[in-house]
Amino acid sequence: MSYIEEFSWDDITPIPQNDGGNDAIAPIAYDDDYRIAMEYLRAVMKIEEFSERSLKLTEDVILMNAAHYTVWQYRTRILFALDKDLEQELVWVEFVGQKFPKNYQIWNHREVIVNKLDNPIRELPFIEVMLEIDTKNYHVWSYRQWLVRRFDLWATEVPYTTIMIEQDVRNNSAWNHRFFAIFGRKEVPSDEVVSDEIEFTKAAILKAPQNTSAWNYLTGVMKKSGRPLSDLESFCLTLSNPSSGFKTQDLDITSARSLEVLADIYAEKQDIPKASLAWTLLAEKYDTVRENYWNHRKSQATAKILGAF
Amino acid sequence: MAAQYIPEINKVHNQESPLLDSLVTETSAAQNGTARSCEGLILEGQLPVLNRSAHSQFLQIPLKLALPSAFTGLDASKPWLIYWPLQALSLIDPASIPPDYSARVSASIFACISDTEGAIGGGNGQIAHLASTYAGVNALAISGDTKAWQALDRNRVYQFLMAMKCDDGGFRMHHGGEEDVRAVYCALATATLLDIMTEELVQGTIEWVSRCQTYEGGIGGAPDNEAHGGYAFCGLASLCLLGNPLEVIPEYLDLENFVRWLSARQYQPEGGFSGRSNKLVDGCYSWWVGGCWALLEGIMPSLKMGWVPLWSKADLQKYILCCCQSPRGGLRDKPGKSADFYHSCYVLSGLSVVQHRYRYVDGAREKTLSNWSLSWDYSAEDSAVVEVSVENQIGALNPVHVLPWGVAEKMHDFYAAYR
Repeated sequence: MSYIEEFSWDDITPIPQNDGGNDAIAPIAYDDDYRIAMEYLRAVMKIEEFSERSLKLTEDVILMNAAHYTVWQYRTRILFALDKDLEQELVWVEFVGQKFPKNYQIWNHREVIVNKLDNPIRELPFIEVMLEIDTKNYHVWSYRQWLVRRFDLWATEVPYTTIMIEQDVRNNSAWNHRFFAIFGRKEVPSDEVVSDEIEFTKAAILKAPQNTSAWNYLTGVMKKSGRPLSDLESFCLTLSNPSSGFKTQDLDITSARSLEVLADIYAEKQDIPKASLAWTLLAEKYDTVRENYWNHRKSQATAKILGAF
Repeated sequence: MAAQYIPEINKVHNQESPLLDSLVTETSAAQNGTARSCEGLILEGQLPVLNRSAHSQFLQIPLKLALPSAFTGLDASKPWLIYWPLQALSLIDPASIPPDYSARVSASIFACISDTEGAIGGGNGQIAHLASTYAGVNALAISGDTKAWQALDRNRVYQFLMAMKCDDGGFRMHHGGEEDVRAVYCALATATLLDIMTEELVQGTIEWVSRCQTYEGGIGGAPDNEAHGGYAFCGLASLCLLGNPLEVIPEYLDLENFVRWLSARQYQPEGGFSGRSNKLVDGCYSWWVGGCWALLEGIMPSLKMGWVPLWSKADLQKYILCCCQSPRGGLRDKPGKSADFYHSCYVLSGLSVVQHRYRYVDGAREKTLSNWSLSWDYSAEDSAVVEVSVENQIGALNPVHVLPWGVAEKMHDFYAAYR
């Protein structure tokens, strides 16, 4: 352990862990290295020691248990108290992140450091490396949103999600980030931008017509920009045409999601027979595990019409 | 009112949708792999028995033995390592919990209380954390150790909750920690159980939670984040803690869009729930998504939004019994994964949702802050909805607190008596 090799600890009395007595629940049989390091940690934290040796100790503990949020928080306090080089800290965090890609404490730590440093220069390249390891890492995408807003980095975001979506059109995290990139800014996007998004998404849907992520994005954009869903009717009909009822040939239905949106369009127009037909097709053939939901939509729409008379 | 018509919906859907796209991506390849491995375990017309004794043995490990050093990664989650197995055991085999556990639980949780902050941390000597505080208080609730309840310094816990409150109405997990909707849920659930809810504590919180709903209809960890099953439960349950759910939920959520997204979480042929669009099913969402359904079903009849379960309980039961039972005991994410305490807790809590119908009883208690989540009731689910064999029956729970039935109410009322 570096903290022992590099520093003297003679003046510190380690504080053993008290799990709540000898018959505590869920004690862990730690390796000695970890157990002893934690004993020193408790001791230096208690006296709020902010020193080079306590900094080294946090490094060793994090490499043994990166999920230990207390050590991260203590480390931040030491870094700030000693006025350490924060850029060097970011380099170290990059090493830890790649060693433990699922760890999420690093993102909160990094946010605190980068916020103080007031410079995002290292961030986007590191985020990209981490998203290559796991393209849907929730904490990485959340961090990216914070970063973009904090440093006004909007320009890169739509193109970045285009690349990610081209790589995997079903990456819902990328679609969610795209929605943020378009609508998360203070300025409302222009009609042209919205129209471009709609065309981009339709093209993506044609590559994989069942892709929920693209459909949710499409209907989300319509709603957010105040456009009527019925603008999508002809697009949906090119993918699924339920007009011939139960005699519908399979060839006429290529997307369950387009049936769903069609049903919403018909329901909005109060054309309940057509909406019901689409819901029935979903319930009985194309998305049967959700049949209770589709039947519920049907009965709700019918009740609403009856109530109107 | 006409007699309720109960359609025969007790059926499973073991066929994949006839519509599958030919384009292969990382996502579709993973989905295909999971669907195939689940299909291999789903047998037509046969439902495995819940291997109660094996699961019980597995869940008793933390009560009997030291966990191996591989658990070091959970060293900052000690209260969870106590809560998860206790919650799961309470549902499937309460008699197996040893009689001396109560004081042992409270001593173990008290050892995690931060000297300087007064709330519960991830372990001895660690700083206080809202998730640890939630799990620790839940474990204390299950312990029923009223001496420990008496000894808990609720004022200090309240001070900690207030210290975690952010200006925008949300909460952060710990000093210097992240702000998200888990923190909101953990703070509110804790405040209710300890009867320390105040208007000041929840100022602006309901609006903050509302901002976490995304264009997809689900709820993300924070505003603009991707919709996610775990955060969806935290958000929805938070609304159920903040006011009368019959009023708060329709007002602060786009309920139609939320239900649509929630419904899309159930996959076939697997029958289980995924946490996000285009992600794989995972047993733990049996609770995070199933718990959302329990809460919604509890209010939808009163909102005249229909009553039939809007999802397939039979298919979730199928996924849990066929795919989530580890042969060596304990419950798991999906076939090929190892069982653990986290998944055991939330898969079994999901199974409880399959077997029971929960409902919010308006006016069951005085309508005051800190009573909203305690006005729930349940009944056994109708066999027309899902057939539950007697040998598989497990206990009921409080769907807001994720605690065995009656436990949350008892703890809250203990403290309320001091008012």
